[in-house]
Amino acid sequence: MELDCRGMRCPIPIIKLAHALKTESSIRLLSDDPATLPDLSAWARMTGNKFTQVNNETFDVKKGN
Amino acid sequence: MRFLGGSVLSVGSVTTFQSEAPLHPAAAEFLGDAFARGWADPSKIHQESRKVALVLNEAKEVYCQHLGLRHDQINFLGEPSLGFHLGISGLIEAESTFYHSAVDRSEVFAVASGVRSKVLPVDITGQYVAPTGTVVDVITYQAVNGETGIPGVSPNGFAGKVFVEASPLISLPKKWNSALWDARSWNGPAGLGILAIADKGWVNPLPHNDSRVTPGSFSAPLAIAGAIALENYIRDFNEHESKIRALNAKIRNFLITQLEDVDIAGDLETALPHLLSFSLLYVDAQLLVDELDKSGYAVDSGSACNSMNMQPSHVLAALGLLTHGNVRMSLRADHTEMEIEKFLSVLKDLVTKIRR
Repeated sequence: MELDCRGMRCPIPIIKLAHALKTESSIRLLSDDPATLPDLSAWARMTGNKFTQVNNETFDVKKGN
Repeated sequence: MRFLGGSVLSVGSVTTFQSEAPLHPAAAEFLGDAFARGWADPSKIHQESRKVALVLNEAKEVYCQHLGLRHDQINFLGEPSLGFHLGISGLIEAESTFYHSAVDRSEVFAVASGVRSKVLPVDITGQYVAPTGTVVDVITYQAVNGETGIPGVSPNGFAGKVFVEASPLISLPKKWNSALWDARSWNGPAGLGILAIADKGWVNPLPHNDSRVTPGSFSAPLAIAGAIALENYIRDFNEHESKIRALNAKIRNFLITQLEDVDIAGDLETALPHLLSFSLLYVDAQLLVDELDKSGYAVDSGSACNSMNMQPSHVLAALGLLTHGNVRMSLRADHTEMEIEKFLSVLKDLVTKIRR
């Protein structure tokens, strides 16, 4: 699933991502908010989910166990 | 000015946890008197000017005693931020590499951008692997991080020169070459910095014609009021440190047990107890700060939505902490346990509402 959050400011991309993860196990997140990268790292640490950065605005997120 | 008598500067019944604390009453009383009498220039030879010079000298003694300095090392600055340039650039030579932490202030990054420099990445506790450097290299030592209360990494093993972003609550390291304090860090007046220069290794980066270290355009009443505020601040802190620590512990405990998904900066065992920074997952800081304000609580925030340039706090990002939903609190001796309990109850209600 692709979740396009470009143009949205923090914390909306992370909120939308968490919401989408309730039904999906793998999401490609598009976000150009400068807080997304540091917040994804902190969010993954806090929630046990995982992500990899594909490029500046693209992140592949996988639901943790 | 008409607005001074109106409601613009009237604070009302707000409990403030913001870093900008009111000037200490003893310092405020002195300032009113000093400005009312049109205080004289201490460099002149009139009776009143000589009196100012004497009082300024006494103020220097206070700074010496509390900041661990010699009389001749003290320089007053009317613009504290200028001290970063003076203090650091004065140590840098053509062959120097300038090392600084990723959680240093933006003024340090600004100086670093003009020289050969290396940013030291930090872990979640604010620590980095300290470089050894060579004798011509320069490093900054941030005694305590102003956003999180996390202490800096000791520069004692560094071979080169040391600039200290200093705090009145932490002693200078064994070896230092220049050090800067902002009077606001001890509830002193804004517009007053203390730049200390040790004996060796510093060359004035400003094109002066004489031997002065700073431009010298500081306000004598502010320098004296700053000393009064410093004396009181240190005394109050020593007297109330355990109370402030207990309030900080109470808030941390509440956040962990009563609110889910909270990222708290630092550990109270090592951090200074009057500062606290925490981030709430899935919470818009702007909304939370506004709602707290409406409920009578003023807090700071390092989240992007609260900053002028819409960038998240580089300190939170460097530490790997959540940058949205951030709340920063400064605790003081006059905060009561009951005030904190009320605040926490309001905070919990608002966070629950915002997350819904």
